[in-house]
Amino acid sequence: MTSGDSESTAHSRSQRYDELAPLFVELSGVSKQDPRYEELRDKLVTEHLPVAQHIARRFSHRGESQEDLTQVATLGLINAVDRFDPHRGVDFLSYAVPTIMGEVRRHFRDTGWAVRVPRRLQERHLSVSSAIATLSQELGRAPTPSELATHIGISKDEVYQGLEAGNAYRSSSLDELLTNTDEIPLGDAIGTEDSELGEVENREAIRPLLDELGERERRILILRFFRSMTQTQIAEQVGISQMHVSRLLSRTLAWLRERLETEVPTNSTANE
Amino acid sequence: MSASDPDWLRSPAGESEPSVANPDPGEDPPVEVRVSAEATQLSVMRAVVGDLAMRADFDVDSIADLRLAVDEACSSLVRRAAADAWLLCRFRCGTEGLTLTAEVTSNDSSAPRTDTFSWRVLSALTDTVASSVEAAEDGTGKHVVRIELRKGRMGTSDVRGL
Repeated sequence: MTSGDSESTAHSRSQRYDELAPLFVELSGVSKQDPRYEELRDKLVTEHLPVAQHIARRFSHRGESQEDLTQVATLGLINAVDRFDPHRGVDFLSYAVPTIMGEVRRHFRDTGWAVRVPRRLQERHLSVSSAIATLSQELGRAPTPSELATHIGISKDEVYQGLEAGNAYRSSSLDELLTNTDEIPLGDAIGTEDSELGEVENREAIRPLLDELGERERRILILRFFRSMTQTQIAEQVGISQMHVSRLLSRTLAWLRERLETEVPTNSTANE
Repeated sequence: MSASDPDWLRSPAGESEPSVANPDPGEDPPVEVRVSAEATQLSVMRAVVGDLAMRADFDVDSIADLRLAVDEACSSLVRRAAADAWLLCRFRCGTEGLTLTAEVTSNDSSAPRTDTFSWRVLSALTDTVASSVEAAEDGTGKHVVRIELRKGRMGTSDVRGL
């Protein structure tokens, strides 16, 4: 991906976007409690959506569903709108394009396949993944393999293959969990973990580890284990697929186990 | 897996031979898997529970939760396992739900603590989870540590057999 290429695309459209610049100045002067803030933010996000869609399309041949990519790029856009400072003398697109691209790249880094998976299986995986999202909406709960098979019009064995393929996604580098603040925006802030970890005996060891996690991983962990949300509900709220939530949880738990084991040796053999 | 291991074919002393002909017609034949109690072997258990839950038509959230729960339970047992111990998992899958009993031989006589983050995770992923410890019956002075967990179907029991 050459960034110069996408910047020139962005510039050719910038005439139209230049007209939105005063709105950023207004946004920066409005309190978040003011109804006008939401109004301006919505308008800025909506008007710039073509930028996110354009970037998402550029990555579309890499095996991720267009829907997922557009969603990720849109989150990057919202991130950019929220963080852009119009007083720095940089125009919004120069700031937003790398931010959105970064978001999409991070998505690929998080979701890349671990092993070579045949194209046919990748596609099956994608169709199952998107059917899970559609059916969850319709049913108000996660679908079963039978329901997925009926919905997509494939056999149950093919659904099983699609689900299994999801486990072949790359999940090796645990260091990737340690991402910085540059993550998918949270929308609503998650509460302090202090109250959540109330009855957990080893909370003193857990808390600093939670702080090391990326925002998204921490959020998913808390929603699943302390707010009792299902993976499907979390997927919808965070804006990624259920299978992606599942992989992130699996990685995060493995990482926490590893860290807790090395840092908090159990002394329980003392009573032997 | 260790099905060809002669030891494997003998019923453990003092334990009644599990009958493959299951009294509950709504329950599939039980599945037992034994691997060496090492973290690298846990992918086998994840794969087995994922496959069983998938074919029993659990919803995709439950399938994913069961994989995570088996990973968590087996990890904590592997950590307690004596050198060269086996990790044994027994899976039972029926109309009501899926039950896993996982056990290792340990030098440690204490049951996994229930006030830890790990237990919190197990409780959130399953309907019930319990642990137990008893003296190993082989006279070595070791202990058998077990974790048993179960997860029911999420209101989709009517779709079984479709």
